[in-house]
Amino acid sequence: MSDPRAEPTAAEAPARHDLLPAAVDPTVFDEAFLRQLERLMLVTRKAVRGGMKGVRRSAKRGVSVEFADYRNYTIGDDLRTLDWNIYARLEKLFVKLFIEEEDVTVHILLDASGSMGLGAPDKLLFGKRAAAALAYVGLASYDRISIAVLQGRVARRYPAVRGTGRIFQVLADLSSVKAAPGPTDLAACARHYAAQLTQRGPLILISDLFDANAERAISELAGTRCEVAVLHTLSPDELDPPLEGDLRLLDTESGSGVDITADLATMDAYRARLTAWQAGLDAVATKRRAAYVPVPTTLPLADLVFAELRRRRVVA
Amino acid sequence: MPFLAPLALAGLAFIPLIVAFYLLRLRRTERTVSSTYLWQQLVRDLEANAPWQRLRRSLLLILQLLLVAVLVLAAARPFLERTAGLARDLVLVVDASASMGATDVFPDRLSAAKRAAIEALAGLPADGRVSIVAAGETARVVANEVTDRGRAADAIEGIRLSNASGDLGDALKLAGALAARARGAEVLVVTDDASRHVPEVRLAVPIRVLTVGRERRNQAIVALAVQTGAGGVKRSLFVSVANLDTQAATRRLQVLADGAPFTARDLFLDPLTRTEVVIDELPQGTAIVEARLTAVDGAAGPTGPADQLAADDAAWAIVPSDRLQRILLVGPGNVYLQNALSLLPSVELYGVSGADYAKTTGLEKFDLVVFDGFLPPTLPDKPILAIAPPRSSALGTVTGTLTGPYIATPAPDEPLLHDVDLTRLHVATAQRLELPAWARTVIPGPKQVPLLYVGAREGLPTAVLAFDLHQSDLPLQIAWPILVANLSGELLGRDASTLHPIAPGAPVELLLPPGSAGMRVSAPDGSATELVPGATGASTVTFVGTGQLGVYRAEPIPAAPEPLPSGATPSPAPSPSPSPSGSEAAAAVGPVRFAVDLFDPEESNIASGDGARLAALGGPPAAGGQAGIARDEWWIPIALLALLLLLAEWLVYERDGARRILGALRSALTLRPFRRGRA
Repeated sequence: MSDPRAEPTAAEAPARHDLLPAAVDPTVFDEAFLRQLERLMLVTRKAVRGGMKGVRRSAKRGVSVEFADYRNYTIGDDLRTLDWNIYARLEKLFVKLFIEEEDVTVHILLDASGSMGLGAPDKLLFGKRAAAALAYVGLASYDRISIAVLQGRVARRYPAVRGTGRIFQVLADLSSVKAAPGPTDLAACARHYAAQLTQRGPLILISDLFDANAERAISELAGTRCEVAVLHTLSPDELDPPLEGDLRLLDTESGSGVDITADLATMDAYRARLTAWQAGLDAVATKRRAAYVPVPTTLPLADLVFAELRRRRVVA
Repeated sequence: MPFLAPLALAGLAFIPLIVAFYLLRLRRTERTVSSTYLWQQLVRDLEANAPWQRLRRSLLLILQLLLVAVLVLAAARPFLERTAGLARDLVLVVDASASMGATDVFPDRLSAAKRAAIEALAGLPADGRVSIVAAGETARVVANEVTDRGRAADAIEGIRLSNASGDLGDALKLAGALAARARGAEVLVVTDDASRHVPEVRLAVPIRVLTVGRERRNQAIVALAVQTGAGGVKRSLFVSVANLDTQAATRRLQVLADGAPFTARDLFLDPLTRTEVVIDELPQGTAIVEARLTAVDGAAGPTGPADQLAADDAAWAIVPSDRLQRILLVGPGNVYLQNALSLLPSVELYGVSGADYAKTTGLEKFDLVVFDGFLPPTLPDKPILAIAPPRSSALGTVTGTLTGPYIATPAPDEPLLHDVDLTRLHVATAQRLELPAWARTVIPGPKQVPLLYVGAREGLPTAVLAFDLHQSDLPLQIAWPILVANLSGELLGRDASTLHPIAPGAPVELLLPPGSAGMRVSAPDGSATELVPGATGASTVTFVGTGQLGVYRAEPIPAAPEPLPSGATPSPAPSPSPSPSGSEAAAAVGPVRFAVDLFDPEESNIASGDGARLAALGGPPAAGGQAGIARDEWWIPIALLALLLLLAEWLVYERDGARRILGALRSALTLRPFRRGRA
């Protein structure tokens, strides 16, 4: 079996930058950054069953070197697992059980609704970069990466990939993601993804959560018993809108308008409302044992991965 | 609170209009945002009590409503009433004489007087009228029965300081005439009351006096004259300096000859005394002498700094020309005439009998020809003084003889009779002459028959005395040498009147040189005035713009050459006539200078009075007069409040920009210590 940590082959390396999405700044994913990402690992608090051999403790018993338990011998067991020392003392046959190490599936859900297409810097672009970085962390940890894009009422899944060599596939998949016109029902998308989910593991939702059913979406995802982390991505002009005067605000998804008079009191009320909304989402996430990470799009990607997500115990 | 324009309160109707605009305004800027999810929740909160809830938090609307209310209030002109302190009809006299330029009050007395006058107008009744008289070199009405306080204040502010001596008498007479037009009027005088001279005038209306001025620290040059020695060569300067303060003072007297420092002397001046200084031997060729009174370097205390009136700290004098001039006396010989002419400075006198006159050569070298009892057949093209002409000529027509003519009253402002006393003049016989068109009578005889007349005959100064000196007692009187000196000044182009200091505002009569179309007078500040004679053939022009102190320069304006007759062509050969053309003659005559000096100890004495003497010149208040009602309007503080509201409204509207400015200022302030530390 080949070493999953092996570097890309010489034939793969020149094609790397060609596969980078055009919208992704290649300097963001330079070698040094990738080397740093490889030292990280997405945190799983409990052992889950995986599909293939990996480096994470599985709920199954297997053939690793770490002793787990004994059980009585039954016909058909591998004789190599018999503990002959116990048989010599007790004249009974016991089989030694070992910890199984398997991979896990990391679910990365990227909100590609129309609202994610706005903001300065672009929220969707920021979400793509964050997804790519987390995907590489998972690939470098021999995890299976499953990326899904939430648009409309469905979660469109890309084929799960494994191994660092597939990072270019991931980047290519992400680069093809565009913000969808029309409204997006985040709860419906989450429900749709949960229905397709077969293997549990870390689940990361990257979204601006501008949806009346955002709390339900979090609950739906938390109901899959995955370890959910929500990266709540907002741009600076959403955190402190530079609005002034009499305005008619048009929703980019629904096209509906809201008339406001942006004066000091209104802006103060907006900021208070935003804070309360984020606090409510945080409370819901905490209640469902999910991590809630508010992320402004001005945050550098390195700070997000190496500082913010580490602090929130999403990666370690 | 009453209003002057209550109809303006109708402007409050704009308030509901603005509110309606706020409620109904439909034009909004469309802005696409990621989601209106949060805004919808927010609007639901804000519109819980719509529509009034929307208005509740709009600071801009509140400020705009306040602004409209305040502007309407200002337009309605609210006022408070109080008892007026002045009569309904007021005549305001503002003293603008030279002493009002004293700087013992900031910035000077005239400015303080203007302020006091404008403040005093607040005491006028609401329907009060004010006439304003400026008392400068003359009394002048600058505003007549003005009801608008703004126009009255503008008129007061427009009063300029005069360098002339002040006499409130004329101003009070004028004020009395203005006040007599209305019943119950009064006169308000704003002055420093520095003059010791009480005007000889009594008014029927009451006079109130507002005085300005506190101190009397002033030293002045009260006389400056150039004296020529007996030889006519040496010239000395006489300066009289007065200390009009009650304390001794030390001052430096600087003398400048043609602008260059000549000498300086430190003078210790006792209180209330005059000090005379004589400076000998002015530099040869000096034309203008200037004397300045300055502070002594290094002196301290009351003797040190400059005094409080600058107008009398400088004086100018014109030095008479020392060019030698030649006079030819033609006649049998007259010792009185010879003596009087020989006493003139810088003059060489030549004599010839009438019989030898025809053989005389070099006539063109003489500046003046005097014919005494003799007239040649052909008159020379020179200035002429003819005494008792025996026959008719171009100088005048002799129509007979006058026996024992009396002397009529001459014109009071005749410059040739300056310091000449003719009251004891007796004439036995004189020629009866007809006054030519080009001449003016200087000494009139019976029935306006001239005994002495002067004028410009074909551009040449000419004087004719109708009587022989032996037929009168004129040569025996002091008036004779003075009259000869004055005549020589006019005939020789040495106008003696311009050598005397001229008081500010006084008119100056300037002789027109032959061939000149007028005079151009340049003031000390460089401004020029062109004077053209009012009548053809006039020999003088009068300049009245002597308001500035200093040296004036008058130059003749050459006359345009006369057009040639039709068909005539100019002669290519030189003219056989030796007399120059008119314009050339005008160009040959040099400029005339004259100095305007204050030289008035009365005006230099700036000790202010209490105004009681002036107030005593007025009459009692009108019986039965009721005090009027004065109104104090409030529009100024209201307008200021409106301005503040406008500023606040702008700041709220541009709050982002204001924040950026504040942020930049804050960062600049925080960076400054760091920069200092690095430096």
